[in-house]
Amino acid sequence: MGVVVMGVGICGSFPSSGGLSYRELIAKAAATAYEDAGLEPEQIDGAVSCEEDFISGYSISDEYVPDQLAMVRKPVYTITGDFLHGLSSAVMQIRTGRFKTLVVQSYCKASNIMTKDEIVHFALDPTYNRFGVSPHYLAGIEMQQFIDSSGHSAEDIAEIAAFNRSRAMANPLAPYGAKLTGDDVIASRPLATPVTELMFARPADAAVVIVIGNEEAAQEMANDPIYISGTGWGSGNSIIERRAHDISEGTLVAAKMAYEEAGISVPQNEVDIAYVSDLYAHRELMHMDALGLNTDFLPFINPDGGSQGMGDLMEANGGARFYDAVRQLRGNATGHQVVGAKTALLHGWRGIPTDSAAVVVLDAEGGDNE
Amino acid sequence: MSNRVAVIGAGMTKFVRRAQESPGELAAQAVQMALEDAGLEMKDIDAVCLGTAPDAFDGIHLNGEHLIAGAGGTNKPYLRHYVGGGTGVFSPIHGWMHVASGKFKNCLVVTEEKMSPCNPHPAGAFITIFDHTTEQPLDLTLIHIFGMEMARFMHTYGYSEEELARISVLCKGNALGHPAAQIAEKITVEDVMNSPMLSTPVKRRDISPVSDGACAVVLSNERVARTHCKAPVFIDGVGFRLDTAYWNTRDLAFPTYVAMAAHDAYKMAGIDKPEEDIDIYEPYDPFNYKALHHMNGLFMDRSGRKLRELFDADQLGPDGSHPICPSGGALGVGNPIAATGLMKIAELYFQLSGQAGKRQVKKSVRTGVAQAWGDLMQVGTVVVMSGENRLPTTASMWNKMTSKDLPGTALKKVEDVPHFGYTPDFRYSWDNGAALTTYLDGFKAGKLRASKCNKCNRMMVPPRAFCELCNLHPVNDYYDIQDTGTVQTLTRSYVDWDSSMLPKGKERHYAVISLDGASDEMGICHWLGEVKVKDLKVGMRVKAVWKPEKDREGGILDIKYFRPLKQGERTSKTVKQIKPTEMDTVTGKSFPGAIPLNYVYTAGVGGTRFFEDLAKGKLSGTYCSHCDAVHIPAANFCEAGMIALDVNKNARVVNPGSGFVSSFTDVFEDRSGHLLSKPKTVVQVVFPKTVGSLFGVLELAKGDVVDVGSAVELVRSRQAGPEHIKFRLKKKRK
Ligand SMILES: [Zn+2]
Ligand SMILES: [Zn+2]
Repeated sequence: MGVVVMGVGICGSFPSSGGLSYRELIAKAAATAYEDAGLEPEQIDGAVSCEEDFISGYSISDEYVPDQLAMVRKPVYTITGDFLHGLSSAVMQIRTGRFKTLVVQSYCKASNIMTKDEIVHFALDPTYNRFGVSPHYLAGIEMQQFIDSSGHSAEDIAEIAAFNRSRAMANPLAPYGAKLTGDDVIASRPLATPVTELMFARPADAAVVIVIGNEEAAQEMANDPIYISGTGWGSGNSIIERRAHDISEGTLVAAKMAYEEAGISVPQNEVDIAYVSDLYAHRELMHMDALGLNTDFLPFINPDGGSQGMGDLMEANGGARFYDAVRQLRGNATGHQVVGAKTALLHGWRGIPTDSAAVVVLDAEGGDNE
Repeated sequence: MSNRVAVIGAGMTKFVRRAQESPGELAAQAVQMALEDAGLEMKDIDAVCLGTAPDAFDGIHLNGEHLIAGAGGTNKPYLRHYVGGGTGVFSPIHGWMHVASGKFKNCLVVTEEKMSPCNPHPAGAFITIFDHTTEQPLDLTLIHIFGMEMARFMHTYGYSEEELARISVLCKGNALGHPAAQIAEKITVEDVMNSPMLSTPVKRRDISPVSDGACAVVLSNERVARTHCKAPVFIDGVGFRLDTAYWNTRDLAFPTYVAMAAHDAYKMAGIDKPEEDIDIYEPYDPFNYKALHHMNGLFMDRSGRKLRELFDADQLGPDGSHPICPSGGALGVGNPIAATGLMKIAELYFQLSGQAGKRQVKKSVRTGVAQAWGDLMQVGTVVVMSGENRLPTTASMWNKMTSKDLPGTALKKVEDVPHFGYTPDFRYSWDNGAALTTYLDGFKAGKLRASKCNKCNRMMVPPRAFCELCNLHPVNDYYDIQDTGTVQTLTRSYVDWDSSMLPKGKERHYAVISLDGASDEMGICHWLGEVKVKDLKVGMRVKAVWKPEKDREGGILDIKYFRPLKQGERTSKTVKQIKPTEMDTVTGKSFPGAIPLNYVYTAGVGGTRFFEDLAKGKLSGTYCSHCDAVHIPAANFCEAGMIALDVNKNARVVNPGSGFVSSFTDVFEDRSGHLLSKPKTVVQVVFPKTVGSLFGVLELAKGDVVDVGSAVELVRSRQAGPEHIKFRLKKKRK
């Protein structure tokens, strides 16, 4: 059963978003997505949100999902995953044949969290892994191992961060566009060696909402449909003592699943653009390995500037990438349009200390591989 | 058309007040058992989905990520879902999506909750479920709103406290036959009535306990189910509905969201008259009244008459026409939130395939329904299942299961094993946004404010910038309304937000008050004051008592409380349109928030071995037959094969001085992001002939240089906890 993207909406990203409550931030993105889909919320069957408790400042933060989506008393649940995880769950839900249209939502109010590192530290295993130091230590451990085994240097990694920040200058939604060089990145303050401050995406606020539907719904819509031709997700070991830190096993599992479903065998030749999680610069290269993309493909990766340019939106990271991918495939990404982009590969990673990833393939001319 | 989905195996730990096992170890035990019951191995599982309610109990952010290994999700497609207290019954619904979509053949569904690490009391975590700006300052906890909901339920449907106590008696009695039960007991209505009053009308024995536990089921498509299972039980219908977070605006007496979820599930299952078509019921029963409250929802009967007849005729027991909670429910088996809901699904699987042993209900059963509920009294999750009238399978391990056969290690106190405390520092500052800024500015001015939707004409408190019931229609009109109103429901509470008892003789009165000038159903939650206990009643008229203007800060506590209206005191419902606050960098404020909890963790079974060794300057790994390798650190399960390991019997000595650095990093900031005066070095250390590693801080002496490959030794420590895992560089032999 084909599943299509019907509408997209974003509010953000901003370094801070004072003046908008999280409800208002989400409602703005939602209203945009519904308008784009040509639907009223009452016509939509249900919602999936992607949120984590302590980031939202609530326990059981799923309580606060329905109102700002106008999904009160509808089937609604929350996935503690990247936006792309929630989207993948929503696609399954539609494929049960019991739902026609769904809305997927994620948001980030990073600027409202005074103790962000504390929260990440709290995600480390309480028995073995909380050392009272910055939780970025795990990124340092990873990058060190990745350099040792991959042949990439710290300079190569720094170039990734600089490149993504620079290209974000062409994306009007990206708050962190800057003309940086690899040397600037290397020379920035050390965080957890060899990771420097500019290798780590800085936080930002945004909400992303999209509407998806089955083929029947697609026939009724005004936009040209974008097909979700593959979804996959996977997790590496949560016990970091027994996890390989130079590859992303979670991405391997996710990519295999999504590629099989989308009928992709050589991704580099079969996709036009890719969005690859770059929360830490070394992770972009590590994820590319697992996705089967080599460095020749770098010019087509993260045309929006990635998380380095748009900011770390936590659970909404994949959402911001998704929003840009849909604009690219529709050919209206303006200043950073990749000409002729018809197939997009999206990858989302959940950040330290996880190795959980989701992969989605979008196709502007899809519908041929159901 | 969906693929049919069946439950083909179940597993669970004992439900206990305080488990020695870590959250992952609890989950792993349930998983091992479910796989065994289903006759499958981990390699047969295509996907794993996990349910756990809030992170605040286990005390781990990204708790779903932390539980991957224990849930069997390593190198698999793995998703965690949640809908608060409704998570347990939502879990098989999410699992159903995995299989019914055709994407997976076998999906392992795992639920876990370890509530005991949370301090000062696990119930304290519930303060953070309330709106951080408009409700948390009132020091609310769940018992308060349950008191108010229970009062409203009793007021509407005419149940007495004694009648509701019969449900506690029933469930705790049913649980006597359940191997996982934490507080099964034969008690009387008097025992319930004589238990301490917490928040009227809620008494201690009206409530389910705090619990640690895990439960897992295997879901398969019909083909696998038919080949692997002696008596598959199919998921015929699913439903889940989430109501508004503005709980004060809702009818608390009848759970419409449960009825809607039930309607969805019945429609899918082809059920027209649930009271005739369904044989057994597992409604969620964290409080005794909730079982009945939810039964009205499951009967889709707002009048409550169908249930009242069955209740009066005593037909809800295991020998009755409509058995409810044959498992013993949350009240008897225990309530590790998400695991409880899945335990109810497991009970349907047992009952509908004749594997419930001495709990098997008297009547012959074909169809059952399980339901869970949660969040801010707003979510209903419903699953309808049916068996195929197979006879009880004598070979079932479940028919004879006793508490001794179930995993899970109950501790009397956490001090009995290696343990460590942790106080997170979570602070927030929430942007109020346009609507709440105008609302909070009103408090400063001594006014209660609403915004009005000009589609549905609701005058809404607290004001919103959009209407949640009118397709997000923008709302621009703001009004001052009256500070008088009518009490919709109330509770006299003797407990504080953290579940500690208020000082003797002290009580706090919480009420939901519908405000004059707002729409009928619009209420706010606040305290009552200046009121005699005998005058407290639903329907009483009240007025806000404001702090002096100079003390007002622009928050809900600018109202001290609501007092009863005086004789002859006049009120009105007039409203006055105002100009909302214009947003700029001065007016656009934010509201402070925090999560005021701390934690004490057990080291888990693996961690206990590790830290007991560390205290002796030793190190041991655990031999795993699945991997034919020694796992480090010590482990009581293997996350690759999901088999149980014994940290003592399978222990293998490792030389703590034989480590090599496999990776390292110099870290410049502390856990809060403040610069350290001197960077600390964190190392990952591997040991020969083992699989795995240890992380720790490397203690560097002056002139020491570390590199990948450096030889290091583990430093002995008598104290437990990650900050005591330290390494030193080994001196090179001359
Ligand atoms: Zn309205
Ligand atoms: Zn093993």
